[in-house]
Amino acid sequence: MMKRITALLLLACLVLSGLSNAKTAYADDSWYTYTYNYWGDEEASPDAYTVDRVISGSAFGEDVGSLLNPDSLFAIDDLLYVVDSKNNRIIEAQWKNGEFRTVRVIYHVNVSEEKKDLLKIGDKIELCLLQPGDVFVKPITKEQRLKVYGEYLGTPYVPEIEPEEEPAKDGEGEGKGEGDNADATDADAEKKDNASDSDGENGETGETGETGETGETGETGESSEGGKASEGTKPAKTKWQENIEVRKFNRDYDIFIADTQNNRIIHCDYDLNVIDVVANPKDETLADDYKFLPSHFVVDDAYRYYVQALNINAGIMEFTKDGTFTGYIGASPVTISFAQRIWRKIQTKEQRMKTKMFVPTEYNNICIDSKGFLYVTTSTLKDNEIATGTGKPVRKLNSMGTDILIRNGNHFPIGDLKTGNVAGAMEQGLSITGSTAFVDVVTFENETYCCLDKTRGRLFVYDFQGNLLYAFGNSGMNEGSFLNPSAVVKLDEETLAVLDRFAGTITIFTMTSYGKLINKALSLYRVGQYDESADVWREVLKYNGNCELAYVGIGRSLLRQKRYKEAMDEFEIARDSVNYSKAFKYYREEVVEDNIVWFIIVIAALILIPKGIRTAKRLRKEISEA
Amino acid sequence: MSNVLSKILGFFTGEGFKHYLKTLKYSLYMILHPFDGSWDLIHEKRGSMAAAHTIVILALLTNIWDMRFSNFMVNNTRWSEVNILMRLASILVPLFIWVLSNWCLTTLFDGKGRFGDIYMATAYSFTPYVLIGIPMIIVSNIVTKEEGVFYTYFNVFALIWCVFLILCAMMMIHDYGLGGGLLSTLASVAGMAVIMFIVLLFFSLISDAVAYFVSIYKEITMRIS
Repeated sequence: MMKRITALLLLACLVLSGLSNAKTAYADDSWYTYTYNYWGDEEASPDAYTVDRVISGSAFGEDVGSLLNPDSLFAIDDLLYVVDSKNNRIIEAQWKNGEFRTVRVIYHVNVSEEKKDLLKIGDKIELCLLQPGDVFVKPITKEQRLKVYGEYLGTPYVPEIEPEEEPAKDGEGEGKGEGDNADATDADAEKKDNASDSDGENGETGETGETGETGETGETGESSEGGKASEGTKPAKTKWQENIEVRKFNRDYDIFIADTQNNRIIHCDYDLNVIDVVANPKDETLADDYKFLPSHFVVDDAYRYYVQALNINAGIMEFTKDGTFTGYIGASPVTISFAQRIWRKIQTKEQRMKTKMFVPTEYNNICIDSKGFLYVTTSTLKDNEIATGTGKPVRKLNSMGTDILIRNGNHFPIGDLKTGNVAGAMEQGLSITGSTAFVDVVTFENETYCCLDKTRGRLFVYDFQGNLLYAFGNSGMNEGSFLNPSAVVKLDEETLAVLDRFAGTITIFTMTSYGKLINKALSLYRVGQYDESADVWREVLKYNGNCELAYVGIGRSLLRQKRYKEAMDEFEIARDSVNYSKAFKYYREEVVEDNIVWFIIVIAALILIPKGIRTAKRLRKEISEA
Repeated sequence: MSNVLSKILGFFTGEGFKHYLKTLKYSLYMILHPFDGSWDLIHEKRGSMAAAHTIVILALLTNIWDMRFSNFMVNNTRWSEVNILMRLASILVPLFIWVLSNWCLTTLFDGKGRFGDIYMATAYSFTPYVLIGIPMIIVSNIVTKEEGVFYTYFNVFALIWCVFLILCAMMMIHDYGLGGGLLSTLASVAGMAVIMFIVLLFFSLISDAVAYFVSIYKEITMRIS
């Protein structure tokens, strides 16, 4: 008897469990572009960016030569600046119709007699750059500049160059640069015509440049320089004149150069005439022998400098427009865990000295968005800090230095969520381990931002809510892969340039129609055109049915149109429980309101029927008793 | 035909089925009167094995239905990784090991309960999980995310109730006091760990032994050929 019942129940169990056969899907996990789904697994995505071209130093002119450990890029309007650090130069190129044209190569700045003391290092006035780390260019009109900084142009300072010092200072790079400058001016032939005010020396340089073009560049450049030195002319002066020539290509820009190994940030106008220099910050927190090593920096609209210096871990250094150090912003507090505190109590003084210091995170790059917020990245966090979200590798700082980055996505904006060979990441067949290490960030108009990962050579693009839109790139030598990416900039809203430090190349990415659609949808959403945005998201779904954001976008639009049930379905696909709950609340209200009569009937029935039965029973009892 | 029909009818109207329903209904009394209920369950023969099986199966079903039908706001099931048999086993195996471990220990320490008694009492203690769990599946589909905390609270409450019932039942069926009941329960949990360890050890040794003989066989076949 009991056995039969049990058997029956078992059978019922199988029938009633209501399960459909769930299929497990496995896919090849080597894609170029991917996203993370709700579960934190990589999911292939159509390419949002494709490699347009990879350019090396020679693309900037034959005599520029290769880039050596380039550290940074900067782009403004149609100009791209490549900070070629180990070659002690900055290449300025114009990006026009998909082609680069070198404008000039900056090796040194110019200074007036009145301002020359600003550039004094020791007892020498140092005009040349030494391993520059970064460059920042800011549009400013002459009137504005005069208002903010006052008059700065005066008698040009012409340095006295001792002949024996010259070869030491001017390496091969210098020689190449000589030829290049001439080349640049040569390319701007129509502008050169206007350079009639230049004296004989300048003309001579032009000629040298031309010979440099025909012959072996580097050597010719050097020999011509040597020739000039023997003639008794001053090469530095020659360059000074060249720069004046470049002035014909005039723009209302100010150029700021982080001259890292010279411990200063130089601020000059577009003709490289020094306006001001930020050096030797004085503060009680800084040691007396402190060497200022500005690595990356930005200048905001109030002309304040925000500097990430190499040996500073107290945050971003802030300077006023006249170069006074005002303090740090964005320092993350040092956190010591309870266990660490106990452990330190037990340790002897010597042991304590030997254990690793608890230092706050050191930033490695900085970027400023169009609204003046700073985006900073750091790569000194531990893996477990990143995974748990206590470590924040990318931050958005307001002027108080508070992190205001929105992290509403399913996952934190930390790059790859796993630490192994994620999405087919391999380096020449070797495994890659460790968390993503962000080294640069660039922001776009619609508040999306793109972080550059050094560990796997990847770019991660997040929207303003912190959702990962797509990740792409890889480690390696292939096109679209990087050995040691150091910087990323946007040439325009749809073109990215990524600098590879080891390979000395710049990879230009252009946005595909898929990426453009996502951008369009986000932009429309941000200006409040939700329905139009949803239409674009529907287009996105045609490319990529796995795009969770698209479902949320469509759901939001449906929610606004009061199509609650449909909105709920969309949100459920994306597993967006917050929005689902919102839609459901309205849907429930609607259902209750529409069926209020039925609800009342059912509730009344639930109360009345048992009461009726009880009454009936009592009556029957009474009748039977009577 | 009428024979079969009358047989089925007879089954459902028979004494056995009536007893089954009565014992099943007794679970409702037991969960509200943990001490008296557990005592009578065993000593007064108020429970039945079939009812115990029913409750266990209902508990399994509740677990699966919860996974399948509760709203995704409170339910993070990943369908591509669900293995229904593993899910069932993850309840049934601990249940079996618990009963086994408890029986082993209490037999040594003067416990009055037999193996079946322990199983029955434990199974009856699952009743709150079923009674609260199933309505909560429905509730999860008619509440918003903010109201969804009730789902969590009630489910946690159900589990606490179940544990309390198990404790009471152990005290009653083995005729222990409060201290003895608590101690035997804790010891049983430890015993479960020991059993798991021994099972794993056993299987790993067996597989090693098998591998040894397999390699001998391979060696011999290679020599001969």
